[in-house]
Amino acid sequence: MHYYITKPSVVGKPQSIAAAIVFLTLGFGAFGPPLNAQSTAVAPTRGDDSSETKLPVPEGLQSILAAGTVPKSLEQLRSLEQQFGKISAAAELCTVSIKIGQAQGCGVIIDGGGKVLTAAHVAMRPNKPATVILANGRRLKAMTLGLNKNVDAGMLQITPGQNEGADWPHATLGDSSKLARGMWCIATGHPSGFDQTRGVVTRVGRIARVNRSALRTDCALIGGDSGGPLFDLSGKLIAIHSRIGNDVEENLHIPIDNYANSWDRLVAGDSWGTLPGFRPVLGVQGNSQVEEAVIDVVRPSSAAKKAGIQEGDIIKEFGDRKITDFQSLKEAVAETMPGENVRVRGQRDGRPVFFRVVIGRGE
Amino acid sequence: MVNSSMRSYAKKLPFVFIAMMLATEGQTLLAQFEPLPRRDNASMMNLVRPVTEKISGSVVQVYSGDRPVALGTIVAEDGFILTKRSELSGDPIRVRLSDGQLLPARVAAVRRSNDLAMLRVEGDLTLRPAQFAGEIPPVASFVVSVGRKSNPIGLGVIGAKPRPISHQGRLGVLLQDDRTGRAMVRGIFPDSGAEAAGLKKGDLIVAINGREERSRLGVIETLRGMFPGESVRLTITRNDEANDSTTMDVDASIRDLNVMRESESDARVNGPRNVRLSGFDQVMQHDTVLDPDECGGPLMDTKGNVIGINIARAGRVVSYALPASLILPEMVSMLAEARSASR
Repeated sequence: MHYYITKPSVVGKPQSIAAAIVFLTLGFGAFGPPLNAQSTAVAPTRGDDSSETKLPVPEGLQSILAAGTVPKSLEQLRSLEQQFGKISAAAELCTVSIKIGQAQGCGVIIDGGGKVLTAAHVAMRPNKPATVILANGRRLKAMTLGLNKNVDAGMLQITPGQNEGADWPHATLGDSSKLARGMWCIATGHPSGFDQTRGVVTRVGRIARVNRSALRTDCALIGGDSGGPLFDLSGKLIAIHSRIGNDVEENLHIPIDNYANSWDRLVAGDSWGTLPGFRPVLGVQGNSQVEEAVIDVVRPSSAAKKAGIQEGDIIKEFGDRKITDFQSLKEAVAETMPGENVRVRGQRDGRPVFFRVVIGRGE
Repeated sequence: MVNSSMRSYAKKLPFVFIAMMLATEGQTLLAQFEPLPRRDNASMMNLVRPVTEKISGSVVQVYSGDRPVALGTIVAEDGFILTKRSELSGDPIRVRLSDGQLLPARVAAVRRSNDLAMLRVEGDLTLRPAQFAGEIPPVASFVVSVGRKSNPIGLGVIGAKPRPISHQGRLGVLLQDDRTGRAMVRGIFPDSGAEAAGLKKGDLIVAINGREERSRLGVIETLRGMFPGESVRLTITRNDEANDSTTMDVDASIRDLNVMRESESDARVNGPRNVRLSGFDQVMQHDTVLDPDECGGPLMDTKGNVIGINIARAGRVVSYALPASLILPEMVSMLAEARSASR
């Protein structure tokens, strides 16, 4: 089965990244098994704050909140939609658009100081500048923090000093350990990218499946929504949008506990792991023992082949990384995301050559 | 009764099964066979049935060229029905009423700018019109789409505040002046109406819809007035290798540029859509999963108000409906036009 990461890779002309599945030749193998260090730190305290998204749940909706059932009367249905409306209005204030280079996704502010949760494939790399756009169009400076690529969790920090000392409106962190099939949820985001006249778009659905690393709902998502928030009926943040399948009911989100479990590493700007099914692949082979990154083999129909890289070429620069040998090229590719557009400088017969590679995807 | 969302569930069953096999952590084998809990499952549809039954008799199925292409909303008891104009591509046009009667109909008025057509059903009938009312519900409110038997065919929520939707309808040609200043095709967009119609590089566009075009700018100006989903008859002059020129008529459809530009996998996740999915003066955006042939029917709120008409399935996360505040004045002027013409 095929999942797509829900982010347009290029603003204006969205390109999906799953157009081709490229075979494994270069990538994360060198990094060894994913790290599973559990952090002792916990997410920020869940205090009472009027600028949060948490809302009281009316008496008549308590059973629906807890058991994930269907309303029993039209009256209860109307009470449910009123609750959705309040959550949607609060969510609009903390749902942000994130721009990094040409790529666009979403995020959600989760504390007054401007910490933002997003998907790892939106943040892409730790400790890099990013632009955060509020629903009202205000653009803010931010830096990416850590990435847990095993589950597609990412974090950003809005650069301090941009809110005249006031707290940012933010989402109340929930708990994803008690989620169950049938529970109602509210998704917000910027489908197909930020659009000032339209604003944040709300969708409503129910949880179809729960496991530790992904939630599946029928809240319909599409490119541009990645990194946006999913709330429960009490207005608490329970997950972050990640990827979709062809079927409109196949929408996957990262359960919020995945962030809490590695909070310290994310805050510290660590980047680790690889998302199953989304391994970045260039499609070349070389010898790690030699002094330069010489390309020995270019796989047919690979990202490298399509970009025009030839056997015998020496890679000198990959994005903003200097390449000294084949090992450093492997590491540079491992830092990218499938579908990402990367400028590559190489050398052929002593002359400089330039390529624009669209990173491939391996299982 | 099998409603449409149950139909689509049945179609997807093998796929759903596979998906669940891949992730059954902590679930019993039996649970895999339970239908997915969805916001628009059978219990939810049953819950909103009393709402849609308030307008029983007011929805019809519209057929164009023997194919069901849209729903229609009855707006006057003497046989006038509003539907989605761009889906009416072939004759005969007929409508099936809620009681099963299949009747011939004709187009009595159109409003291109919002893709509306008013149909007139022939015969001595007294129909039950839908009464448009109500304000546009706030974001996240439930909306119910209604089928021919006044059954709920879709349930979703309002996703954004009402707004106009601009369009980028394009034939899909790059033009240049030939020596005499006429419009010569210099390039053709992939997946465009021009490509589908077989236009070739070097063709001269000499007339559009029977009206002569003398210049490139004139062609551009005429094409600019066309909406996605509309068809144009192009008269083209083509030179073959022996330099013999032939003049022929070809019909080409106008498509939205954003759809033409989209990648294959984006098209796949978007699913089936209407060709006319943009170019509306004001819409309510909602997330109801509709089939493209389910537009033209009424959209209701949970209080039982008919708040608009579904006008396009525009993508995976987007359906559009024209609000009552836009429909009402259009309806009044279309009725006046249709009645004065038939007098």
